[in-house]
Amino acid sequence: MLMPRRVKHRKQHRGRMTGVSKGGNEVTFGDFGIQALEPAWLTARQIESARIAMTRHVKRGGKVWIRVFPDKPITQKPAETRMGSGKGNPEYWVAVVKPGRVIFELAGVDQELARAAMERAIQKLPMKAKFVVRPGTHGAPEVQI
Amino acid sequence: MPEIVLHAEVGRTTGTASSKRLRHEGKIPGILYGHGAEPIPVAVQAKELRTALSTEAGLNQLLALEADGETYLALARELQRHPVRNTVTHIDFQIVNRDEMVTADIALTVIGDAVEVRHADGTVDQQLFTLTVSAKPSDIPTSLEVDISALQVGEAIRVADLVLPVGVLAVTDGESIIAAAHGGHSGPAADAEAAATEG
Repeated sequence: MLMPRRVKHRKQHRGRMTGVSKGGNEVTFGDFGIQALEPAWLTARQIESARIAMTRHVKRGGKVWIRVFPDKPITQKPAETRMGSGKGNPEYWVAVVKPGRVIFELAGVDQELARAAMERAIQKLPMKAKFVVRPGTHGAPEVQI
Repeated sequence: MPEIVLHAEVGRTTGTASSKRLRHEGKIPGILYGHGAEPIPVAVQAKELRTALSTEAGLNQLLALEADGETYLALARELQRHPVRNTVTHIDFQIVNRDEMVTADIALTVIGDAVEVRHADGTVDQQLFTLTVSAKPSDIPTSLEVDISALQVGEAIRVADLVLPVGVLAVTDGESIIAAAHGGHSGPAADAEAAATEG
């Protein structure tokens, strides 16, 4: 699973997820992509699960890009512990995803197969997401209204 | 390439609120600049713009922009899009001259079947989707075709290998790779899968 090799600080604040993604909103490397429509914390397990669902459906050929990285540590207190005595232990890693963010990209397969593979991957994600095509290619218009 | 007439309103108020109001009315705020002229804030009808930029030339369609009683020869430049809806929220128009070279991004279309790569269970990885070229506005090609049928595993097609039309010069570095062929077992998907099982 994806996780940072080393970090400056072991524990982080939770933060807020308001607004829309300000970068990584377009299909840049491949031909097709999965775009988030809601804000969410995407765990390393979910990213891996979605990636496996996608690559197994494609079977052979194709190239996958993962456009997010889980670099935020999430802490949890052990079960049946009284409140207080400091913040819990880091348990897993998440990527903070805001609406508009392209999470995965895919190339080297036809549109029907890409759509089917990515629909499977979307099922593994904790938020609403949609299949997107690079504008100006595969019949997608350059200008949408 | 014949230009398409596009009507633009001038004298729009700049700013977030007025721009939002324009978008609600089905217009797209934009700016017209170039050739030493003062930048002019304009607004165009979204439907007209979509029709104008839906030709084969795409974003490189030459436009006759009618604004304030004058006609400007212009090219659509940077398109700002809404991150989720993907609608165009702002557009730049650059005034061009028929006799002056301009730079433009041309779509690269991969054609042919890389038989050798397919037989070796490999994949063709397209790394460059657009090529920046310098040409006169009327000479800008709609797209460039890259034939990959002779591609073999371990080889790559570079910008220098392309045969460009007369009057078109490549601005992108000649050594940049357009498409590369990877072997079956060391392919990117296989690598990612292997890395995942190790982890």
